[in-house]
Amino acid sequence: MQTQLGNWRMVLPAAALALAACGGGADQANTTTNNQAESVQSSEASTGPAQGGNFVIATPGEPITFNELYYQDSASGDVISMIHAGLIYIDESFEVQPFIARELPTISDDGLQWTYHLREDVKFHDGEQLTAEDVVFTYSIFNHPDYSGPRVSDFELLDSVVALDPFTVQFTLTEPSAKFATQAGYGILPKHILGEVPVAELGDYRAYNVERPIGAGPFKFDSWTRGQNLVVRAFDDFFLGRPHLDSITTRFVGDQNAAILLLQTGQADYVIVPINEVETVRAIPNVQLESTLALRYDYIGWNMRNPLFQDRRVRQALTHAIDRQEIVETILNDNATVAHAPVSPLSWAYNDNVPQFNYDVERAKELLAEAGWVPGPDGILVKDGKRFSFEMLSNDGNVVRRDIGVIAQQYLRQVGIEVRPAQMEWGAFIERISPPNYNFDSVVLAWGLAIDPDPQAIWHSSEIEQGLNQISYSNPVVDALIDGNVSIMDQAERAERLGKVWYALAEDQPYTFLYYPQVFAGLSPRVNGFTQHARVDVFKPYQWWLAQ
Amino acid sequence: MFNYLLRRLITVIPILLGISIISFAIMQAAPGNPAVMTMDPTISAEARARQLEALGLNDPIPVQYVKWLSGVVRGDFGLSYTQRRPVMEMILERLPNTLLLMLVATILAMLVSIPIGIYQARKRGSALDYGATVFSFAGLAMPNFWLAMMLIMLLSVQMGWFPVGGVSTLGADFSILDRLHHLILPALVLATSDMAALTRYTRSSMIDVLNQDYIRTARAKGLVERTVVYRHGLRNGLIPIVTIFALMLPTMIGGSVIVETIFSWPGIGRMFISAVFERDYPVIMAITMIAAVLTVIGNLIADICYALLDPRIEY
Repeated sequence: MQTQLGNWRMVLPAAALALAACGGGADQANTTTNNQAESVQSSEASTGPAQGGNFVIATPGEPITFNELYYQDSASGDVISMIHAGLIYIDESFEVQPFIARELPTISDDGLQWTYHLREDVKFHDGEQLTAEDVVFTYSIFNHPDYSGPRVSDFELLDSVVALDPFTVQFTLTEPSAKFATQAGYGILPKHILGEVPVAELGDYRAYNVERPIGAGPFKFDSWTRGQNLVVRAFDDFFLGRPHLDSITTRFVGDQNAAILLLQTGQADYVIVPINEVETVRAIPNVQLESTLALRYDYIGWNMRNPLFQDRRVRQALTHAIDRQEIVETILNDNATVAHAPVSPLSWAYNDNVPQFNYDVERAKELLAEAGWVPGPDGILVKDGKRFSFEMLSNDGNVVRRDIGVIAQQYLRQVGIEVRPAQMEWGAFIERISPPNYNFDSVVLAWGLAIDPDPQAIWHSSEIEQGLNQISYSNPVVDALIDGNVSIMDQAERAERLGKVWYALAEDQPYTFLYYPQVFAGLSPRVNGFTQHARVDVFKPYQWWLAQ
Repeated sequence: MFNYLLRRLITVIPILLGISIISFAIMQAAPGNPAVMTMDPTISAEARARQLEALGLNDPIPVQYVKWLSGVVRGDFGLSYTQRRPVMEMILERLPNTLLLMLVATILAMLVSIPIGIYQARKRGSALDYGATVFSFAGLAMPNFWLAMMLIMLLSVQMGWFPVGGVSTLGADFSILDRLHHLILPALVLATSDMAALTRYTRSSMIDVLNQDYIRTARAKGLVERTVVYRHGLRNGLIPIVTIFALMLPTMIGGSVIVETIFSWPGIGRMFISAVFERDYPVIMAITMIAAVLTVIGNLIADICYALLDPRIEY
């Protein structure tokens, strides 16, 4: 249990601070590596999927808006995946697949012009045909001076978008960007409904955004009783054919425990299971427990503004002194894999050719001695009259991170370092570690990664001032490697460049990379056709079906 | 009486102003702010600044307060930062659920505890007195989240008699029976601790009263015991109980965060807590002010009830 208060919508410790947390299908990848997503085995072979039924999702998070251009929370994202459709989507192996587009875009040789050909059988829920005009309308909003939503920076490189004919759209960029392939996943908005709404008012245009969203996705919005449930119904004219289910009900519950109880009593079909509740759910008879590696890594970040952590040998010693395999086995019940670099094994950019600093107390002591730290009278290391003692901060209510703090305290004690684990309420915690405060020694946190592996936002020194580089890491070599990596259109070439970034970061150890955790989904025995996606909770809901 | 009411109502205004200033100041002084809480960390600094400006969070705090106050005076509690819709609308959606739950729990507590308390006072030292005392202390000592979990595990999960949570069955048409079915467990859990406390209060208050001279006089006059206890005793014994009830009124609006969360009850308590975590200032202020108004009204009602129950009290 995450504690009663651990799971508020914006405060989800697991998803929180997720880099590019959102964007639905709007992130990218091109090849498959190591994906562990599995489909539920079904009895489909004999009779084919059963039609009909109401599928119930139980979740503590309540959505805010159903307009993909403005949402920032995963609860809204889940509903958006049901009612909207984009030009492309990212499949469970992180490959870009055409959706409303007939095929992947044709890209001009200079990487500046991206042309999408649309299917001609796509209808909105109100029966209107979806055409290139709707696509142009949707994507023109991002660059409109009055657009106040969160996606401006994603489209800074977009110069123009035009309809070449009713079913062909051409995007023109100001400079080539490999990342752009991913940005074509936004749910297309109906121009015939929103065309007259001034862009400045679009974010708060509730008549569409919350009361009556119309998309081209597999399910139509039906009703939302706040605090209780939200219902969507099958859209008969969905371009891939009517979904098997009649409806999906998202039921809003008090916390994750309540959701699991509903699964246990057969009143819910699908629940996201937090990692510390996995064993509880495993013990429930008949429940299907699905898992896949999350697109995420957990870490301990060392604040480089603090003189204690400025020497690379010291940071390497800190990692050597902590037995991460033990943490994975005891705290996470083996539901994770030890991490050595800031890139997920799921990504095409993953490269395990990086220095590893495995558990080795003697080596840790050597490195600390080299760096000039000698044992003081109380056994704690001392250098220039300063004791090696610091605080390790994490967010309140996250049991796993609290335990990591305590275990790290014991391990580091062995090499003569004093750790004081501390926890703070999420809001206060984030404010303390973020610019312009940087007020922490070390921090236990996690990054939910974007599908595009661009390391800019976390590791570039230009992100210290205002960005997500909270530990103030600055390495000119890494900066140079990051600069321009997104303009490399050839994936193999880009992977090679990024491999050098991972190597440099692993060697520098600005973080102690802890592990790659798994994500779990609990499904009722009657669920079939479910595909788990490491990044999206509601993935291909039109393939779900319920055994009768 | 009318003049008294008027006087009281006028003094309420500075009290509420004071409460609002203090709450506003404390809220602003707390660490964390809506900009960090509700916004995607990946959005650019300029976009963030624009959103802050739109929310009015760049103004000096006194200016923000005055703006807020001038809205409230006109009945406008503003827009929620996270939900982007009127705070009043959000509260009105949730309030009926909380009131229903709290009313049923309070009535339940009252129906059980007052008769038992009176009986205990009359039969002091009896087996039932001791028995009820033990149960009262057990009820007080039991954390309600624990009781809620146990009841859910036993009655909902194992026996399947009650739903695990929510206010009504999914997709079913409105039915009073269905509502009651969902209401029983959370109301029972909430009532338990009130029940225990009220039983104790009733008992001790009645014992006090029954030892008074006028009760002895009543008995000496040869009145039947029922008249002595209920007409002379209860009327006086209830005065402190009324105070307790009146003071319970604001807790009704606050709801019970824990019980609402465990039973997935869409009430004010749950909304308030998530607003605090999200630093959704307009929602926090609105609920705080409603609770403040209710506290003041609760006190007023208590004073009026005194006058009704005890003719010696005059205003």
